[in-house]
Amino acid sequence: MIKLYDYELSGNCYKLRLLMSILGVDYKTVPVDFYPGREHKSEWFLKLNPLGQLPVVDDDGLVLRDAQAILVYLAAKYDAAGTWYPRDNPELLGEISQWLAFADGITSTASAARLHDALFYDFDINTARAGAHRLFRILDEHLWFGERQERQWICSAKQPTIADIACFPYIMLSEEGGISRQDYPAIRRWCDRIKRINGFIVMSGVFPAGPAKAA
Amino acid sequence: MLEDVRTRWHPIAATDDLPLRHVFHGQLLGREFAVWRADDGYVNVWENRCLHRGVRLSIGINDGRELKCQYHGWRYSNRTAGCTYIPAHPADAPARTITNRSFQAVERYGLVWSSEDPRGDLPVVEGIGEDDLLVLRAIPVNASAELVAQRLQSYRFQPNSEIAGTGTNIELVAATEAAVALRSCQGRAETLGVFFVQPVDSGRSVIRGVLSGRPNDAQLTAVLRYHNEALSKLREDLEREAAALPVPVPIEPIFERVSEELASLPELDSRGRKAAIRVQVARKWQTADGIMAFELRPIRGLLPTFQPGAHIDVHLPNGLVRQYSLTNGPGETDRFTIGVKLDPASRGGSQCLHDSVREGDVLAISEPRNNFPLRRDALKTIFVAGGIGVTPLLAMAQTLNNQSLAYELHYFAQNEQQLAFSECRQALGNAVMPHLGLSPSDTVNELRRLLSPYLPDTQLYICGPNPMLESTRSLAAEAGWPEAAVHFEYFKNTNVIDDSSSFEVALARSCLTIKVGAGQSILEAMRDAGVDLPSSCEQGACGTCLATVIEGEPDHQDVYLSPSERASGTKIMTCVSRSKSARLVIDA
Repeated sequence: MIKLYDYELSGNCYKLRLLMSILGVDYKTVPVDFYPGREHKSEWFLKLNPLGQLPVVDDDGLVLRDAQAILVYLAAKYDAAGTWYPRDNPELLGEISQWLAFADGITSTASAARLHDALFYDFDINTARAGAHRLFRILDEHLWFGERQERQWICSAKQPTIADIACFPYIMLSEEGGISRQDYPAIRRWCDRIKRINGFIVMSGVFPAGPAKAA
Repeated sequence: MLEDVRTRWHPIAATDDLPLRHVFHGQLLGREFAVWRADDGYVNVWENRCLHRGVRLSIGINDGRELKCQYHGWRYSNRTAGCTYIPAHPADAPARTITNRSFQAVERYGLVWSSEDPRGDLPVVEGIGEDDLLVLRAIPVNASAELVAQRLQSYRFQPNSEIAGTGTNIELVAATEAAVALRSCQGRAETLGVFFVQPVDSGRSVIRGVLSGRPNDAQLTAVLRYHNEALSKLREDLEREAAALPVPVPIEPIFERVSEELASLPELDSRGRKAAIRVQVARKWQTADGIMAFELRPIRGLLPTFQPGAHIDVHLPNGLVRQYSLTNGPGETDRFTIGVKLDPASRGGSQCLHDSVREGDVLAISEPRNNFPLRRDALKTIFVAGGIGVTPLLAMAQTLNNQSLAYELHYFAQNEQQLAFSECRQALGNAVMPHLGLSPSDTVNELRRLLSPYLPDTQLYICGPNPMLESTRSLAAEAGWPEAAVHFEYFKNTNVIDDSSSFEVALARSCLTIKVGAGQSILEAMRDAGVDLPSSCEQGACGTCLATVIEGEPDHQDVYLSPSERASGTKIMTCVSRSKSARLVIDA
């Protein structure tokens, strides 16, 4: 069974729990005391991931680090319908990779601001927040024009992809870093859509949406 | 200056920002809004804070009829913004003072308009047709509305059909501190662009552009992108300019306490039953054999908040006052619907409504009162309706149905033709189960079957004729239902009231002792002494005139209290019940 080295309050760990819940993949978690224990910098953990970062998965001996990389692996291996990471569609794969990198940008800005506000990390908070707003403006514009072309998700597939899962958590948690989403109505609507995907689960700070109106 | 701005209409969202089951997060002049469209299309603009712990309602859940706070699940009704349910107090009806502040909303030019305190009408824009326009993507800007409106005057754009070209002729049609209208002409091509500036806060604004003429589908996206790019460029310049200016002090919105109307106590001089609301009979129709339905709409303003199980007093043209349950589902707040059965032994109430009251007539009604509140925390709820007793239970069933909570509605009647409100029943589907033409003994057998065995966390609500209600209650007790899980509402009190006693009542809160003589009720004696208590049916059935007993032994003659409530000796219905002791002290 998949073993997820996990911290409950980490958005990057949550995105893996979220995808595995949606795909119906069984897994167990190994809690890592990220704060205040800094267990991700402990000797035993550095052997698993020399970068000292969460999350890490161990799938029958295959040890992988990096949230976005693990999303790719999980979707490629366990999504029978092949929609979350369509392996035979090069255009979509290109799009997905582009937005996975964008998700890394969200981590280094919105997540950094949250670490500063909530866990007292010594980051430049104004730079972190301004960086997040810059990315959110780009994503809101992208999603707003998507709605006009009947594109519901980040990539141009009919179904959501791992790009949506990768970007979602630290956007939803942005207010914990003092980054309001008031100016991004298209992002707020997209968040509602993600919350209505079958198998959606929450974490602390991520609230559920009500059901959509029955057709 | 700020006063002036507060009384003006401002766009706060685009119509497209309000899909069903979504809550939009808006802001105007420093005040945050939770904006949501109910399934019936109504746009609610509310203060963005739950009245409980102040959590933003914009992260709440829009279930199509009510908005639920994400924190402790308080529910607020479409239109009225009144609280309908508090999960921590599942057996109680929330006080009417728990009503959120709401603001007016109008949809025009593809935008949603609101204001703190609107004076006058919405601005009319010459040259923009309601059906032939294009709403641009809104551009939030970190700069004051004043600066944005100024710089917008030099915004340049090509007409819709010529966006690839250059060198258009721009005419400034109008400019205020809230909007700029520009006309772009090139040859015969011409587009009017109106750019409204929404003042979000002292240093934040949103540009909401609307163009005359809707381009064809092929050009639509190109035009939208063209303006998005140009306005984003303008934003860059504006934000650079604003960043060099001193940071303005944020606007502090004024948070109103409970409105005067809600906070006021009933007037002392108008004693007795009040009928503060005027409604018009918008529709009257025969909904079943012997049953007329009435749809009552407000003459102006909004109707007050109700919860499932609530009833109203209807003051009839012939001077009688009668109580009817509301059948409306949650969020159905634009009208009150009641069902009236013609009673062959009518003393003039149902007769008058059936024969004399017509569509278009105006009636006086009371605020809704709820002495039959619905819990929404049961694993399953069973409703037992006899005949016209279905009315409050229909309101309850729609509520549970809307929240996807489990329930069954057993509807006993003589035949198919006597089943009322077919549209509403159809919408509820298979959960409504009619039981037709059963003899009294078959009815008892059927009820026994339905009520056994008692399963924990099940609630039972009964409304119907007295004999059926009595037997359902005793069957439930036999089957092991705890009294607290059995809820009932009588149509009327058929007990013969013995009002021959005389005694003394001390009104603890009013510091007054009054005598209640034979033939007089406690309620009447209190009112004679100038102490008012709300009342409704005045025959011991509805529960409105309930008072708390502090000392003495009540002589219960009502049908509202449950056996254990009676036995506790702490409650009394002041309209019919009396005192066995020479002195009764009540909390009034």
